Amino acid sequence: MSIIQHLTRVLPKGIVITGNESTRPYECDGLSMYKKKPLAVVLPENIGQVRIALRLCRKLKTPVVTRGAGTGLSGGAQPIDQCVVLGLSKLNRIKSIDADNKLAVVEPGVRNIAISEAVSKYGLYYAPDPSSQIACSIGGNVAENAGGVHCLKYGLTVHNIESIKLLTINGDELLLSRKDDGLGLLALMNGSEGLLGVIIEITVKLKTKPDLARVIMAGFDSVRGCANSVADIIKAGIIPAGLEMMDKIAIEAAEGFAQVGYPLDAEALLLCELDGSKSDVEAEIDATMKILSGASTIKVSNNENERMALWKGRKSAFPAVGRLSPDYYCMDGTIPRRNLADMLEKINDLSNKYKLRVANVFHAGDGNLHPLIMYDANLDGEIQRAEEFGNEILKLSVEMGGSVTGEHGVGIEKLDAMCHQFNLKELEVFHKIKEVFDPDSLLNPGKAVPELHRCAELGAMHVHKGVLPHPELERF
Amino acid sequence: MSRLGQLQSIVKDADELHISAEMVNYSGVIEYYPEELVITVKSGTVISEIQRVLSENGQSLPFYISNKNDTIGKEYANGGQGLSDFVLGVQIIDGNGDLLNFGGQVMKNVAGYDVSRLLVGSKGKLAIITQISFKVLPDSYIGEFNQPIKSSDQSTIRLQIEKKLKEVFDPRGVFI
Ligand SMILES: Cc1cc2nc3c(=O)[nH]c(=O)nc-3n(C[C@H](O)[C@H](O)[C@H](O)COP(=O)(O)OP(=O)(O)OC[C@H]3O[C@@H](n4cnc5c(N)ncnc54)[C@H](O)[C@@H]3O)c2cc1C
Repeated sequence: MSIIQHLTRVLPKGIVITGNESTRPYECDGLSMYKKKPLAVVLPENIGQVRIALRLCRKLKTPVVTRGAGTGLSGGAQPIDQCVVLGLSKLNRIKSIDADNKLAVVEPGVRNIAISEAVSKYGLYYAPDPSSQIACSIGGNVAENAGGVHCLKYGLTVHNIESIKLLTINGDELLLSRKDDGLGLLALMNGSEGLLGVIIEITVKLKTKPDLARVIMAGFDSVRGCANSVADIIKAGIIPAGLEMMDKIAIEAAEGFAQVGYPLDAEALLLCELDGSKSDVEAEIDATMKILSGASTIKVSNNENERMALWKGRKSAFPAVGRLSPDYYCMDGTIPRRNLADMLEKINDLSNKYKLRVANVFHAGDGNLHPLIMYDANLDGEIQRAEEFGNEILKLSVEMGGSVTGEHGVGIEKLDAMCHQFNLKELEVFHKIKEVFDPDSLLNPGKAVPELHRCAELGAMHVHKGVLPHPELERF
Repeated sequence: MSRLGQLQSIVKDADELHISAEMVNYSGVIEYYPEELVITVKSGTVISEIQRVLSENGQSLPFYISNKNDTIGKEYANGGQGLSDFVLGVQIIDGNGDLLNFGGQVMKNVAGYDVSRLLVGSKGKLAIITQISFKVLPDSYIGEFNQPIKSSDQSTIRLQIEKKLKEVFDPRGVFI
């Protein structure tokens, strides 16, 4: 009996989806340049059904690709050959809210923003706010350790999770909490990209909404001036709630889309949000304004409407760039903040080299870049050029002491780039960690960690903190 | 042979690492960038020394410290969530004597599994921690820290997982 027959025999009607037409929406995630058909899609309505699906897949050695909302940008939820997609979108209940202890227990399919909406009446919110927050699931957030605009001050997903329940490939349940004595297994699951287990319940930490939030918008005549002000703000002992930067192409695109009054003559734009008590915010605004005195335009939001308007341009920057070009490819490297200006200049050089335009709109405070490489998939060779360009950016990120991915994950997309960041011994440790949880390699196999021979064949040299290629690399 | 002596004999570049029997000699701040909010220290550095260096720039380690006269390596090995939240990267020597790096000095990094936080609380049983990078904060953002509450999960499945993870890092059982 095939896996489909097994699944349809045991699970109620409507839970198992097969056939080209019905499974088409599951062929890719947010990285739509790559697509693949799954054998079947299972959309469980309760944890019992998740367990059944896992046990059957294990029995028949069928690979399982867990899927939240499918907004991932690295192919993490993209099907692999002969796999079952386990879609958790129907597990979308907020199970309980404990306003006194600022905790909420939710199912994995709950959308990120739905948590903040549900707890808003208690004056609380869930801090990590990926730009995709109206769509992405909290399970997917944990699996990617998602970030957002407010990470610099309020942390990533890993900092805002109290505990999770996880099903192993055997269907066994594991409860992992911040309070656990011993190894940091909860942290390990954050960013594990569906390779170690299926997250079935999450207790999130909530925060009290700040009394006041104001955002400063500053336009600069030079990218370097803008980038340097990022370091200056932090050097001055100020931690903004959000510190975002956009370059000229991104400013023009966002302004054309959202009409929020961004300065079209600026080379770079900084959005700096300060929040907290009224007196703290006012003091920080004053201090920040002094640091930003070199800006060519400066504006501070005076009320919530103005604040939301200034953010609206930033939040719609991706779709806005989407209007400039048939396709774009979003990169996600992180670097130490002090290298921001150099990095942006190098990206610009590469843009000329590859003859592809780039818009930069990113989490400057975290040193997390999102170059959007614009290309046209219908033109011969443009995808390959965009990929090569992207890979060079990631290599540069590692050489500058950073990482190939700050928040979007490795998925299938950055497997080659991983060979630059880690040596073979380190990659082997990752493979062995997977083996501990999933000895038959059935959970999202082939993603997140490159096979060792792949790195050897690539001839990629891993670079550590700017120290260039090691000659002792083994070859397979 | 002592545990460390044994390890030293298999560590390839032990000289370079100056591994001493006590590890405390392996101490000092390696890199500190106040504007990056990042400090990288050798694990034998006494916590009060790290605090002194940070205080010169009005910054602090943003987590509960059980004893500031201990080394940061010990605090990490016994550590809990507060510390884990501010770990950015580690360098370790595993039970094969290999020098490995996980995480880094940047605020956001999701490349590979988060080994630098997995090993917080590993009590020295999985690997020798040689260097740790932390995110630090300006003093004005630092509140009160309570001693973290810990609870021990002795379920068979957890114990099994911890045992197998030890074998990943220390297949020959060098670290007892
Ligand atoms: C326009 C846009 C903007 C974005 N902005 C941001 C941003 O600001 N910050 C950011 O961090 N990301 C951003 N992203 C990326 C994406 O939204 C996040 O990675 C998000 O966390 C993915 O959630 P998802 O539910 O869509 O997961 P999916 O895409 O469905 O899955 C992502 C990965 O998680 C695994 N997974 C999903 N659910 C589970 C589970 N319950 N248990 C185990 N594994 C699971 C999958 O196997 C896959 O590997 C953006 C994406 C888009 C399209």
